[in-house]
Amino acid sequence: MKDLNLKLNETCSYIKEKIDIVPEIGLILGSGLGSLADEIEDKKIVKYEEIPNFPVSTVAGHEGQLVIGRLEGRKVIAMQGRFHFYEGYSMQEITFPVRAMKELGVKMLLVTNACGGMDTKLYPGALMFIEDHINFTGSNPLIGPNADELGPRFPDMSAAYDKGLIALGKRVGEKLEIKTEKGIYTAISGPNYLSAAELRMLRRLGGDTVGMSTVPEVIVARHTGIKVLGISCVTDMAIADDLEPLEHSAVVEVANRTRPKFIKLVKGILKEVKEL
Amino acid sequence: MTNLLNKIEETYGFLKEKIDFEPEIGMILGSGLGILAEEIEAPIYIKYNDIPHFPVSTVEGHAGRFVIGTLQGKKVMAMQGRFHYYEGYGMEEVTFPVRVMKRLGVKTLIVTNAAGGVNKEFKPGDLMLINDHINFAFDNPLMGKNYDELGPRFPDTSRAYDPELIEKVMEIAKENHIELKQGVYTLFTGPSYETPAEIRMVRFLGGDAVGMSTVPEVTVAAHSNMKVIGISCITNMAAGILDQPLCHEEVVETATKVRETFITLVKKVVEKL
Repeated sequence: MKDLNLKLNETCSYIKEKIDIVPEIGLILGSGLGSLADEIEDKKIVKYEEIPNFPVSTVAGHEGQLVIGRLEGRKVIAMQGRFHFYEGYSMQEITFPVRAMKELGVKMLLVTNACGGMDTKLYPGALMFIEDHINFTGSNPLIGPNADELGPRFPDMSAAYDKGLIALGKRVGEKLEIKTEKGIYTAISGPNYLSAAELRMLRRLGGDTVGMSTVPEVIVARHTGIKVLGISCVTDMAIADDLEPLEHSAVVEVANRTRPKFIKLVKGILKEVKEL
Repeated sequence: MTNLLNKIEETYGFLKEKIDFEPEIGMILGSGLGILAEEIEAPIYIKYNDIPHFPVSTVEGHAGRFVIGTLQGKKVMAMQGRFHYYEGYGMEEVTFPVRVMKRLGVKTLIVTNAAGGVNKEFKPGDLMLINDHINFAFDNPLMGKNYDELGPRFPDTSRAYDPELIEKVMEIAKENHIELKQGVYTLFTGPSYETPAEIRMVRFLGGDAVGMSTVPEVTVAAHSNMKVIGISCITNMAAGILDQPLCHEEVVETATKVRETFITLVKKVVEKL
């Protein structure tokens, strides 16, 4: 896959010139959670618009830059602002940053998102470790020729979300007295929030939360052999039989409110992660 | 701008020069099952590379050619190697060979595949006769302009897998002491294997096996009024059922082991059609 490899080389060469570390942990910061990147020390910022082959983020609440440096002693590369399928980007475009992260040395991806809670045991502000996912986007980032140097044609997804990292995350939560949940994330394309009938259907299909991101990035991360930990911030309840109209501003408001807890949890996890 | 009808005619013209009879049975041979084509007598080989408007198969375990000749006294046209949606082909490209088979005179299509077992009663090595399918690919080969010469705008698929043929095949299996399960094949695009959560969903939805092919070809066969027999080789249990990861090597390995039983069954079916 000459085209993809050429692009990756271009992109990574450009980024490497701007940074002086080899990042080991990648962070994808979802809606309203971007300010975690402000805590990164000795940071180098690289805006998406200057990076060759990178798309530009368009959603309010997403800044649009890579922030590279140290957080809790770990060498991290954070995406402040991500790309979504509903923005009209292809699956290849939205997952390209994950491929770049792998090229740059990343071994673990901590991916976050804002989502709707379909499980009645969840609540606005809940932090949920993603145990598994259901891809309901209608697409897959690996469709097309396979670049064998990057990963296998048919990657296994039976343990996409690393059980060890989830256990670690749970322990950190307990230690920091932050309540955490576990569950199954269902990815839809959006951009509309779903109808009650659709939510009822997804709930029946086994989903605990619903959101418009993450799954494409996770599929590509697993393709390239990167370990994944996913943390969802439940920003609103999406209970079919008790559905209130929803606006993006409400989502951002809950994400902002939950931010301090979330930042504390992620930093705690970064500190504890040992083998990558 | 060559439309679908023109393309079919051109490809038909090209193939007709090489074949001097009308094949009545078409076969699409899935992962690891291509070896059945070696049993075809007086074979004519035509590489997909040489055929106008044909894509090229890229998956290991798929050869990439038509094998046309006689099997158990019947005139057959077999695809050794098929095209998959996950390779990046459009639905029209993936199903174009079925259109061409129909044009050449094929009346019955035997379509095979390797599939993951979702039904817990299944085990690797089982053969499953497809009695119905679920299209979970969020795409359909019939989207776009309908050519009435090829089939109706809104084709029925309630009997896509011919019920009489299903009965017949079950009988043939019984007569030959071949254990043959039955079930619903569910199409997921892949190419990543499904997650355990997705497999639980498939089970809940009523699927017995899951795979990345077949449904588009069967949809076009139904559109073209072609009878279909579908046989899945359950090469592995789908994600989450056994506590082990999935890999393509296992798929090919199981298909290899099951090969003989599969070949026997298909040959008997062709004989009795």
